[in-house]
Parts: sequence; structure tokens; C-alpha cells
Amino acid sequence: MTVTTVDPIDFELFKNAVFSIADEMALTVFRTTYSAVLKDNMDYSTGFADGDGRLAAQGLTLPGHLGSTPTALEAIMRHFADDMAPGDVFIMNDPFDGGMHLPDIFVFKPRYHNGERLAFACTVCHHTDVGGRVAGSNASDSTEIYAEGLRIAPMKLYEAGRLNKTIMTFIEKNVRVPVMVFGDLRAQLAACHIAEQQFAEVVAKWGPDVTKRMLQETIDYAERLTRAALRDLPDGEWSFEDWIDDDGVDYGKPIRLFVTLRKTGDKMIVDWTGSNPQVRGAINNTLSYTKSASYCAVRSVLPPNIPNNEGVFRAIEVICPPGTIGNGVLPAACAARGLTGFRMVDCMFGALAMMLPDRVKAAGDGGNTGISVGGYFSDRSPFVYVDFTCGAWGARPWADGLDGNSHMFANMALPSVEVTEAEQPISVLAFEFVPDKAGAGKWRGGVPYMRDYRLNTEEATLQVRSDRRDFRPFGLYGGSPGMASENYLDPDGEKLVLPSKLTRTFKRGEVFRHVHPGGGGWGDPLERDPALVLRDVRNEFLSAAKARSDYGVVIDTQGWTIDNAATERVRTAMRASRGWTEVPKVQWHDAPSVRKAAE
Amino acid sequence: MAAKVPTFRVGVDIGGTFTDIVLLGRHGAIHTKKISSSVGNYAEAIVDGLLEVFAESGLNGGSIEEIRHGTTVASNAILEHKGARVGLITTKGFRDVLELRTLRMPRLYDMSWEKPPPLVERYLRRVVDERVDAQGDVERPLDETDAKTQVDALLAEKVDTIAVCLLNSFANPAHELAIKAIIADRAPNLPMSISYEVLPEIKEYERTSTTVINAYVMPIVATYLRALRKGLDAARIPARLLLMQSNGGLTTDQAAAERPMNIIESGPAGGVVGAEKLARAKGFDKIITFDMGGTTAKASMVEAGQVMRAQEQSVGAGIMASSRLLTGAGYTLKVPAIDLAEIGAGGGSHVRIDAGGALQVGPDSAGALPGPVCYGKGGTIPTVTDASVVLGYVSPTHLVGGALKIDAERARDAYKRRIAEPLGLSPEQAALGAYRIAAANMIRAIRAVSTERGRDPRGFALFAFGGNGPLFACGIAQALGIKRIVVPPAAGLFSSFGLLYADVEHHFARTFRRLLRGADLAPVDAAWRELAEAARAQLVADGFTDADMQVARSAALHYKGQSYELVIPVPDGEVDASVAALLEERFGVEHERVYGHRAGPDEPVELVSIQVIGRGMSRSGGVPTELRMTRPEPDAGEPRLAYFGAEHGWVTTPVLRRSDLKKPLQGPAIVEEYDATVLVAPGATASLDAGGNITIDL
Repeated sequence: MTVTTVDPIDFELFKNAVFSIADEMALTVFRTTYSAVLKDNMDYSTGFADGDGRLAAQGLTLPGHLGSTPTALEAIMRHFADDMAPGDVFIMNDPFDGGMHLPDIFVFKPRYHNGERLAFACTVCHHTDVGGRVAGSNASDSTEIYAEGLRIAPMKLYEAGRLNKTIMTFIEKNVRVPVMVFGDLRAQLAACHIAEQQFAEVVAKWGPDVTKRMLQETIDYAERLTRAALRDLPDGEWSFEDWIDDDGVDYGKPIRLFVTLRKTGDKMIVDWTGSNPQVRGAINNTLSYTKSASYCAVRSVLPPNIPNNEGVFRAIEVICPPGTIGNGVLPAACAARGLTGFRMVDCMFGALAMMLPDRVKAAGDGGNTGISVGGYFSDRSPFVYVDFTCGAWGARPWADGLDGNSHMFANMALPSVEVTEAEQPISVLAFEFVPDKAGAGKWRGGVPYMRDYRLNTEEATLQVRSDRRDFRPFGLYGGSPGMASENYLDPDGEKLVLPSKLTRTFKRGEVFRHVHPGGGGWGDPLERDPALVLRDVRNEFLSAAKARSDYGVVIDTQGWTIDNAATERVRTAMRASRGWTEVPKVQWHDAPSVRKAAE
Repeated sequence: MAAKVPTFRVGVDIGGTFTDIVLLGRHGAIHTKKISSSVGNYAEAIVDGLLEVFAESGLNGGSIEEIRHGTTVASNAILEHKGARVGLITTKGFRDVLELRTLRMPRLYDMSWEKPPPLVERYLRRVVDERVDAQGDVERPLDETDAKTQVDALLAEKVDTIAVCLLNSFANPAHELAIKAIIADRAPNLPMSISYEVLPEIKEYERTSTTVINAYVMPIVATYLRALRKGLDAARIPARLLLMQSNGGLTTDQAAAERPMNIIESGPAGGVVGAEKLARAKGFDKIITFDMGGTTAKASMVEAGQVMRAQEQSVGAGIMASSRLLTGAGYTLKVPAIDLAEIGAGGGSHVRIDAGGALQVGPDSAGALPGPVCYGKGGTIPTVTDASVVLGYVSPTHLVGGALKIDAERARDAYKRRIAEPLGLSPEQAALGAYRIAAANMIRAIRAVSTERGRDPRGFALFAFGGNGPLFACGIAQALGIKRIVVPPAAGLFSSFGLLYADVEHHFARTFRRLLRGADLAPVDAAWRELAEAARAQLVADGFTDADMQVARSAALHYKGQSYELVIPVPDGEVDASVAALLEERFGVEHERVYGHRAGPDEPVELVSIQVIGRGMSRSGGVPTELRMTRPEPDAGEPRLAYFGAEHGWVTTPVLRRSDLKKPLQGPAIVEEYDATVLVAPGATASLDAGGNITIDL
């Protein structure tokens, strides 16, 4: 046991107090905001750093923001370390100077005690619009940052308590919905205000010196926990490769993600060298977002009680060369980099699964599909409908993948269909699981769902950002890949196949269908308990034909029973025909020979 | 002493281990009984317990006016997945609303997370071809032949009940009612749960989940209530039976059987309602209730005589101390319920040092078995109760009037070896640390109902009850700057006792979306009248007259574009433009209070749903202010050493009975009772009022 320099009981009480501050900041944003992005998607984070800008406590946080606050604070310190005073409030969003993508606006407020800077309150929120060529500032087909909206370098929004009206005016004139943006900026300021009040109580109780020491100890404590947990993992080097179909600009040109984990003792290096050069479409990451994806995946194999702060990040080094997809340089467009972030997490899961075969899941649906429908009513009033959802997990070494559960990287909620229909010129005609899409395995992948949208006004622009069409969600250790995503126009009639990424005119009465990809399976499908196969057939997650061709399980659908003798026979034939000398660690495509044996 | 006129009211609360019974006479006489719960058939313990009280007191079944009952029978059915086999009928294309939920999970980075299994498996969810749009217009008429086929298919699967929830039915229930008629025709006695009747409100997941929960617990609750009635009849106790609802109001046993969704969170409600009424009698405007037992602590807030209610719960979510922001555990139930913040810290919570060298309390617990180390039943990991024993706060020899032996040496040894030595502390320092950290955890629950809603806890009085509440109240109040604590009589059985203070209540709500400004208010006014009429009719059916009923209205409002509402009371009388303007203003004020700001006057306020609460007042009057315990108090104990930190050291502390506080007394002191231990901190002043409440001033 490491001996701590502070009283362990006082420390626990202090830790409780500062994490309460960060949590209460998060609640303040949640309750104050107007924007559905913040509310339903929880696309924001709050935190609390020491006087030197080292993150000590993160509140409830979008996992995608894990690495963002330290990077942003570094930028603030780089510009203003010697030019900071009580009453200052900082604002920024520039991806090439500490930010992530333009909609994410950071607000920081330093907290002083007798002239000494003791802490920073930190917030970052995804704003509904920051200008640029497409409403929502989220377009995946911009090819340079200059098209994506207003770039805010680190600046003082308040100087010694005085609001800089020039900055506000610049924002007001460059965004589509200034009332909403200002409302959410107010939420961020309110959160900083709450933090300031409560931190004053902390300083009053413990005194400035103990407070400083305890903030350090909070970080050191997280580092000790992280290193202790890393020490329990095996040493070595593991690599994994995955591909994004394309960037929606250079159609059909696949994008490589490649990661290498190097684990020695109590340290982990996550190295993205070998990944694709940055691309023209707007899916380039900043290094901070690549760090978030890396931390998120590593965290999922560490114990749950480690607090999120600088201490965790000290033990995990993330490398990604500039000019690549994970670390874009000017003029990289990055508005829709969410896709790359989700897929880096999945790529990390692949590498971690090589390291820890019995602890990590196969690929899920690859994160959310973005569907937006926007336009103007006949009276020129605008509408924007945005739908970012996902829900099929990859199978786990001990259980099936979850059906209808958000990707770990962004714990998003689903808006109600009835509320959507009451507020938007859209009907949702179906929202249901789709059978026969989940990857087979001893544990099957998550079952995906589809959504059908009908436009109820004259005309709109439909923009879709989906993936996993060409490169399906991989299965692990014998598990099959999940089935690809699908897009259709007029799904129950002409059934016109649409590409995975598209922008097109959407006319009254037209119906668009998106089918999510299925989660990858884990383990040999022929080892799946036939009772579980029967249950999936009974629940129409799986057809009886696929039960036979994928699992070798023969089911009598009249009496809902398993034909054990036939099952044994089919499974034996399948085992013989597939010719595995060893269980394939990763599978991207079905083996046709197995299907043949089942028939 | 066979009473001719029934004069006693009974409060009964069933817990996992104990069934608590309190009898209250018109003139304040109180009998209490704590007996082991009869797990197979909970009704048995109630009847047996009453018969025991009768034997001890000379009362009989004719002495009982009514029985008020808080029960976890419905929530247990959900937690243990022992409810009915339910069939669900939904709109084509929406078969999986129940299982898809909101897609959100309550734990980040947790690869082992499992969603709660749906209460209706997919093969028992059938779809019918029909479509109503968001405005209530029929887009595709119901295919009745298809509907009959689906109903028959479910009947062939031998379902116990059928739930029906169609898309947009809140706006037009015609198709749901047609299916209801088909079911009634084909299976005349099958229980049903129809979404428009259960919850005529927008949001398909919440409505479906609530309708299904209602169907899922319906048979089990009906069976239980029948068994209880039968048992009472056999014991010649003809008193009527009232059930506590999650919202803090009582309902009749018939109404509970029809809408069991209203009694799911019945258990903890009695204590809060009792505290609210006691506070009103004592002239306290603002209180925080704090109820701590063996495994959890619960806090709630009462302001201006109003219990705070949440519009939605997550049944069986367990305790998510991490944050109220993380949802997705448990089963969503959208009925009003007393808003409780619950955390996993109780007497049984484990205390240990983690890998980073910090002292941790909970969330895992020693449970009933093995229990704390000091129970000597095999527990080896020190608990919060063990800390209280080491510190001398809790009797070092016995609890519950001698029924439970305590081994103080064993507790001290566990603290010494497992906590104190590795941290370089004395056992009492380690135990005090655990006690303070447990208190700090509970403070998070209190913050969740106060500061997180813009309320400063320093202006509130703390009502402490439950077996462990009065033991921690001083520490918590001191940390939060609260100046006054009230420990009610029978604090350890207060969930039962509180039932005696409650009124009958029925809640109704309906979605009604429109901007307040410039709206045609006539249909809103008419709808409100309709709901008020429904509330009144229900109360008349319960046996109330106009003289003893109240009907109150409220509106759920938000700024257009927001997705969460605030509930604002609506004055009586016709709802016209001036009332609409008043509501807008009151909403703005509340928004500022809760969230710290309000929008400008141009920002439109939207009405989301209208609500009505009908209340039937108990005719036998409230609870008398002067109470008289018939159970003799235990003898006062010997003074003992208790540890209050380095500044005080070990202090010889008097051990008293509640009645000893008639003369105000300066702490430190310990009050030992049959069902709880009260700790009075050094420097605090404790006194007893005429109602038998202990007041502690800090």
C-alpha cells in the first residue's frame, strides 16, 4: 500500500466534496439548457482543475470528452498563464488551438483566493449551431475548416468581470440560432458560478494550503489506482486494424485505422502510427479526440472506481502523428469526426481483445448514424430534424451483445417518436428490431434496429452519415461479423438502394429507411447453447433458416422444440467442412463453405 | 375492554425482514409491534401481529376503524420478475418500443452492463395494422380482423393479462378502445391495461412501460389484497383497508387492485407524509426528511406543506449514487411519486481501504446475513454499524430491546486490524472516519433534493427516522449548516406511523400541448373540468362527500423547445387569458428559483399536460398532538464512554430514555429506544415536545 501524505479520512471527505462540485456543474448545465443536443445526447462535460490547469475532477462526462479538457486548458495556459486575473472567463473552440470541433465551445473560469489562483472551473458544450455552410455545423462533406463555422481562438469572454461585447456580437452575427447559443453559454457560465460558490466553501473549510495539497493528492490517487490496475494486465505489444468505408467525399476509398498497444509494467502506450493520412471529408480527429477514444476503451478494462482526472492520463500515453486521420492539421475539416472517434474505440477494443481475449467485446454497430432533415416551410420558417442513434453492441466473451443500447463512447438517449411527430414535419413509420442481422457466435452480436421516416412537407434536404456497409462489424474468436448497414428509398415499394453517405432532396410522402448494422459475434457459433438459438427464433430475432445455416440448430417451429439429433448431425457436417485449424481471431466476412454444409 | 365503537386506526408497513404495526387511538394511545415478515404470504404477519396486539391490549377486531397499509408486494414482483404473463398489443412497426427503451445505459465504460429484461418477451408482443397521427387523426383505420387474430394469438399463449398501447393514442384512443372491446368479447374476465386509461400522455416509451407495469403486477396485487381481506375477515376485523400510493396519498383496496401501478413505491411514502404533517403541526415550513435503515438512506424535501413529487420513476434501478443524470436502469413508471433521493449507505455498509489508499464506505453491504461484525454471525468486514459500536454511540451489549446481542470487542478488533493499523490510526479514529464518510455519502442524497434544486438546506429542519437516521442526524446537520433536527416518536417504525397521517388521494393527468399565449383556452378549461369530475367521482365512490374532499389543479409547463417541465399550481375557477398570464409568470419565477435564470418575456411558454389531484380528508380527524406510548420504556442505561473526535476525546456520555428529555439537556447524550438510537452531539441541546418529538438544536 502506498503511504499517502494526507490524512486518508480527510482526503476521502475532500474528494467527495470536489467531485460533488463537478457533478453539480453537470446538473446545472443539464437543467438549464434548451438544446436537445445537450439534453438528450448529453454532449457536454464539466470539470474542475487545479491552479496550474491540471484536471482534478471531471463531472459526469461524455466519454468523447475525456481527453479534451486538459488539451484545452493547456491552450489557455499557453496563451494566458501570465495574463490572468480574478473575474476573467475564457472561451475557445478552435480545433487547431486546443479545441475539438467547432460546435464544442469551452468556457473556463479561474478561481482565486487572496490573489492566488487555486482552481479552474471547466465546461464544454456542443452548441446547436456555430455557423458555416450547413445548419447544425455538423456536415460530413465539408473539405476545409473554413466552411465549418466560427473559429474562436482562446480569448477572454470576461476580463476582470467585464463582458467583452465584441466577442458576443461576432458570435451573434455568425450563428443561425443566437438565442439558443447564448442560452447554452449562460448554462455554462451558471455552472462555473456554482463551482465558484462551492469551491469557496471548500477553501473556507480546509484552508488554501490543504486545498492545494488535496487537489494534487486527488490526481495522484487516480494515478496510483490506474497504475495498480495496469500492472495487473499482461505486458506486450498488440496491433489491430479496421477500416472506415469512405469519407463521403472520395466515395469508395477506404480509410485505414491502425493501433498498437504497448504495455509495460504500470504504463500503457496507445500508438496510432500507421493510420490513414488525413482525409478531405470532415471526419478528421484532433489529437484530443483521439486521446478520448483511447482513454475510453482502456477505461473499460480498468476497475470502475477510478476517478477521471489527470492522474489517469499520466499512465496512458497516446501517440498519433500529425497529418493523419487521428491528428488533423490545417485545413482539415473535422465537424463530423464523431464517426472516426466511435470507430477508433472499436479498433481499440480489437487490440485489447488480442491482449485480453476473455474480457473484451467484438465490434458493435460502429456508433451512431447521423440523419438530418432540414428545410423551410412555405412561410420561410426553418426546421431542422437531427437524429443520432445507435444501439447494437458486439458480443462479449460471456454474454450476447446488447440489443438497443447506446455505444459506450456516447451515452445518447433516443428522442420520443410521438414528440418528433408533434414537433417536426416528419412521421416515423417504423422503429423496430431487424432479424438475421446480428453476427453469429457462441454469443451473438446485438440485434440492430431500423427506422423509417416520411416527409410531411413539400421538400427538404436529407443528409445521412452511416458506415459499416463495406467493412462489416468484426466478430472475434470464431464469431461471425454482423451484417452491413442499409439505406433505402421507398422501402416497401420500389426499394431503391442508397449509398451509406448521402445528401439528396427529400420530397413530400417519400419514405427513407435506415437499417443499422448488426453487432459482431464472439466464439464458435456451433458452441452456442441450442436453447438460446431457439429463444431467438421464437422471438423472431433469428429465422429458423439462419438458425440452421449459422448455428447448425434445427428447430421445429410448430411445437418450438429443438431437433437434437438433426442438430448434432448438421453441426458435425459444418465442423468438418469449415476446415478450421485454429479458431480465427478476427472475422470480417462469412465463410461460404459453412453455409453450404448446413444446406 | 371490548370497544363498541371502532376508535383505532392501524398503520402497517411490510419490509423484507420486519413487519411494523402501529395502532393509534382517537385520544393518542399508541400500540406498536414489530414482527418477522411472513415471506410466503405477507398478509399472515399482518393478521398475526394484530392478534398479538389484541392479546396484549384487550382490544379486538371491532376496535379497528381502518387499516392503512404500505407494501412492497408490487415492487418485489418487478424486482424478482415474478409478475404476470403479459401480452402486449402495439402499432405495426413499433413492436419493440418496450425493449429499445431510451437506448441509454446508467453506467459508463461498463462492458458487463446488462439491460433489465423486458417485462413482456418479444414473442408475446403483437402488432396490429393501424395508424393515428400526432394530432389524433386516423391515418389508417384499425384492421379489426387483424386485431382479433392478434388477441386470439395471445390468448392461445395463455397470457394472464393483456396490455394495449398504440402510437399516438394519447391524442385519440378510438383504436385502443376498439381493441379493448375485442378482448372483453373474447375473454370476458381477463384483466386489461389500456394505455389511454392508464396514462393518456405523450411519449410512447414511458406510456408503454407504465401500461405494461400496471398489467404485470395486477394479478399479484389483486391476489394479495384478496388474501389480506380474507385473513382480516377470518380474524373478525371488518375495518376497511386503505393502501398507500407512491404519491403519498391513500387509496382504497379496490382502486389499488385496478391501478396497482400507483402503489409500486408505496413503502417509503408513509414516513415522508407523516413528517410533512408533523412539521405542519409544529409550524415548520420547510423540512428535509432523512430515513436511514440497514442498507439505504433516503432523503426528500417538503416545502410550504408540499411534498415534492417526481413525475417519473425507475423501478428497481437500484441505487445510483454516482449521479441522477445517468438513467436506464430499472423499469420506467410514469406516475407521480414522492421524490426521494436514495443512496446505498446504511448501517450494514462495508468499510474498506481501496487500492489507492482511500477509506471507502459502501456501496456493498453486509445485509441481514452475515450482518455487521458486532452481530457475531460471521461478518468479518467492518461496517458502519460496527463504527457506531466502536465509538460508543450504539449499545455495546444489545439492540432491539435485547433481541439482538452485540459483541463490541469483535467490532473494535475488526477496525483495528483492517482499517486502523494499515492507515496508522487508532481504532476509534478509524471508526470516526468511517462514520464521517458515511455521513458525507448521505449528504449527497440530501443535496440531491435541496441544493440541486436551488434550495439552501440551511433554512430547513431535518426530520430523522428509520433505525439509523437519528444516529447520523447530528453529523449531517452540522456538515450542512442545518440548525434543527426533529426525531419523531417511534422513529424506527415511522414508515408505519406516518401512514396514520395520510389522506386519500387520486392523481389524474392528460397531455395537452399548446402555447399559453393566444391559445384557445376553452378546450383546456373543459378538459380540466373533466379530470376534476373524474377525481370527484372516484372520491364519492370511496365514500367521501363534498365536505371532506379537495380538488386541486396544476399544469406542467416549459419554455418552447425545452424537453423537461415544471409543475405549477393552477387557481380554481375558469381558465382564461388572465389565468394563462398568471401561469406564465409563476412558471418564470419557479424556473429562476430552480435553475438560476429565466428567459425574457418574449420567450413563449408551452403547456404540456394538465393535472388534477383529488384529496379525501380523513373524517376521524388527524393525529392527536398528544401521543401516549403504551409500550413501557426500557430502563435508562449506564453512562458510557463515547468518542467525538480529537477535540473532545472519549467523553462519559449519559444514556437516556426519551422521557428524560422533558427537561432540555445539553449534549453529548444518547437516547436508547426499542427501535432506534438517537445521538445528541456535544454542544447540541435536546428537548421533548408535547407530541413526543425530540427536538435537537445545533
